[in-house]
Amino acid sequence: MKETLMKPSAISKPSQRLGHIQANELSPLPPPYEDFNNLTLSELKDEKIANIEASLDDTIAIGIPKPQNKEEEKKHLRAFLSGLQKLFEKKNNWGFLQPLLLSMEHCAKCQTCSDACPVFEMSGRQEIYRPTFRSEVLRRIYKKYIKPGGKITSKLTGDIDLNWTAVARLAELAYRCTLCRRCASVCPIGVDNALIAHEIRKLFSQEMGIAPKEIHEKGTLQHLKVGSTTGMNPIAVKDSMDFIQEEMEEITGYKLEIPWDKEEADILLLHNAGEVLAWPENVGAFAILFQAAGISWTLSSEELGYDVVNYGLWYDDVQLARVALKHAEIAKKLKVKKIIIGECGHAHKALTVIADRVLTGDLNIPRESGFVILDEIVSRGNLKFDPSRNNFPVTLHDPCNVVRAMGIVEPQRRILRKIAPKFREMTPHGVDNYCCGGGSGFAIMSGFNFAEWRTLVSSRKKFLQILDAFKSEPQDTPKYVCAPCSNCKGSIRDILAFYHAKERSRIYYGGLVELIVNAMADMKKPMIKFDQETF
Amino acid sequence: MVFFLAAGLRVYRQWKLPLHFRWELYPVKHEVGKKADYGGSYMEELNWWEKEKKNSLYNELKFMIPEILFLRGVWQENRQLWKVSFPFHFGLYMLLATLVLLFVGAVAMIFGAPITAGGSTLRALIYYLTILTGFVGLTMGTVGGIGLIYRRVFDPALKNYSSFADYFNLAFLFLFFVAGLLAWLFHDHAFDGARAYIYSLLTFGGQPEGYTSSRSFLGKGTIMIASLVMAYIPMTHMSHMFMKYFMYHFVRWEDKPNLKGSRIEATILKNLGFKPTWAAGHIGADGEKTWADIATSGPKGSK
Repeated sequence: MKETLMKPSAISKPSQRLGHIQANELSPLPPPYEDFNNLTLSELKDEKIANIEASLDDTIAIGIPKPQNKEEEKKHLRAFLSGLQKLFEKKNNWGFLQPLLLSMEHCAKCQTCSDACPVFEMSGRQEIYRPTFRSEVLRRIYKKYIKPGGKITSKLTGDIDLNWTAVARLAELAYRCTLCRRCASVCPIGVDNALIAHEIRKLFSQEMGIAPKEIHEKGTLQHLKVGSTTGMNPIAVKDSMDFIQEEMEEITGYKLEIPWDKEEADILLLHNAGEVLAWPENVGAFAILFQAAGISWTLSSEELGYDVVNYGLWYDDVQLARVALKHAEIAKKLKVKKIIIGECGHAHKALTVIADRVLTGDLNIPRESGFVILDEIVSRGNLKFDPSRNNFPVTLHDPCNVVRAMGIVEPQRRILRKIAPKFREMTPHGVDNYCCGGGSGFAIMSGFNFAEWRTLVSSRKKFLQILDAFKSEPQDTPKYVCAPCSNCKGSIRDILAFYHAKERSRIYYGGLVELIVNAMADMKKPMIKFDQETF
Repeated sequence: MVFFLAAGLRVYRQWKLPLHFRWELYPVKHEVGKKADYGGSYMEELNWWEKEKKNSLYNELKFMIPEILFLRGVWQENRQLWKVSFPFHFGLYMLLATLVLLFVGAVAMIFGAPITAGGSTLRALIYYLTILTGFVGLTMGTVGGIGLIYRRVFDPALKNYSSFADYFNLAFLFLFFVAGLLAWLFHDHAFDGARAYIYSLLTFGGQPEGYTSSRSFLGKGTIMIASLVMAYIPMTHMSHMFMKYFMYHFVRWEDKPNLKGSRIEATILKNLGFKPTWAAGHIGADGEKTWADIATSGPKGSK
């Protein structure tokens, strides 16, 4: 009760670091991972951050260059305030104005949201990561510097000084929240602190052109320019798919034909192109299953048509709209009946839910989750499945964007209950799930030591959940974390590798469709192999 | 009057805001069947757009009634807070019920039916119910008010984010509860004075027949504070009492799909006509181009 916490106004007080990640404050890991409890982040090298804003905590997500002089600082401050004003204008922010206003005006600061946030909890309750901290900073700046009479009323409603230190820290702080919206789901009033983090990101991107390069420059800009955030152009993706086709035939013995640009197919299947490079078996498994089920489907080799990601979802509404429109245009051109989204959580939400208020007329082509059609294929009985082929413990990770943001909870479970006899739920799961720690772009952000921060802090809760799900299983039994989302899979891959979970607990990971194909009764060879051990 | 004007203005502002991107959060409680419980949606169905979207009012009420009356969310997520927040809020609800009963009683008196313990069954019921809801409301509100102030002062996490306005809001409401409780205790055990006040409001200064008691200092003070509290609430974040409707029905549960030719589609087309002024280079806004122009053109440097 006597504890003194950092006040939101501290954000504008210059100091080397506002928050510190300390090993002894992080939530402890159980045996046999106790040796990792002494680990903290690698120190940021002075020479590398000499000209970079790095005063928030021990990591950097954006890497904002320090202003060269006072004039430049003032220019940035003016731009920040201009962007803040625009967040509250219909013409500039019609897409989120109402949710933002409601969350800005009605928070009772009861802190019920704090315990729901895995970043806050796992960091040892670092005050700067508390969901209300960044919201309160923005709220106070808004009330004081944008609202009429704010300079006077701020003495009553909560004061804060605006300077470049505060602005630079706030930009970074917007990238310490995975936008999982767990905080919003427990708020008794309905306030959404993740939305406020999202709006801060938007302000910086749309007004000041400030965003992590992985999601902007190498993300949406590259996506719109080259065709994919991976940098793959149409020729490269077709080459890769030819290779995947051959590999699949070799691995499973199944003769595969991958349809490209087939007009009037029932389905345009859109994958996260990261799967093609990092998890080709996922793309191959979809092809096998769709072919075996006799589905009329196609892939697109047009730019953007082979990469369903939409990083705009995390930071920039204009970029989001541009990417979504391209996806819809491609589907329209191919005259397909619907778009199916593969195992990519954020793309589910971006194209199905958010873009629903952008796509009109002929571009409003029905979009559906891949889980739904996978469930249909497994349930309708045309294909025979042999669950004993998946006779190993399986747990399911729920991508936040699929469960909490779209309400797609049961199809993936119905599948697993049919094909995975040792399916174990995580605690909690479904709409109460925890983020993989890689949400909102974190999975692909790795500048400076950000990947370490993710593994040690934001993904820590997921790792504890995975360990807990398998706690009753023998150490030497191979175990499978089913993560039906590319970004989640990337985060889980990284935590399993970082903590040597494969070596210490025999924990592996993969997608959902691989498990389905692995259970297909007429498949000559298994798809899933644990260190060449066949199940 | 001020309450209705301020609350009306807030509500009107919300109604006038443009249709926004969908940002629902599951579970969406108007979903049908078990979906409302486990957090499923219509998007779990194959070709959902070919089916009629159904909402369940029963599921919604099953959630909303305990949520509003008993603060179920706070009970589940923050039990310590619930111990003080529930009596505070329930106290307010009880006093709202008291106000309605006083109003009904005053109207009955205008029509020559005095509200007394010895009147007809209905009038006696109003008489006793008013005492019950009033007493329970004032007592629970006082207890909850003390508790909320205590938590805000002594819980570091709450204290750290509390401003003068937050303390003032609570203190103001607490003052109202205490004043009301003292007025009831020392002067107005049956709320006859309060009813007479409503009667005088409705009759522009009239006095109920047979009512002779003059208003006490505490009674006058309570009436004054109550009037100020009612006028003040819609101007603060305490308006969440009624703005929660918008938080849930306009954001959290707003899952209406945009179907071709629908009113939603027409509204989207209107929104796409807004002319943004965002300054970042990649946006390419100039205050003349519309949202549709910008979204259909690539960022600078792209094809």
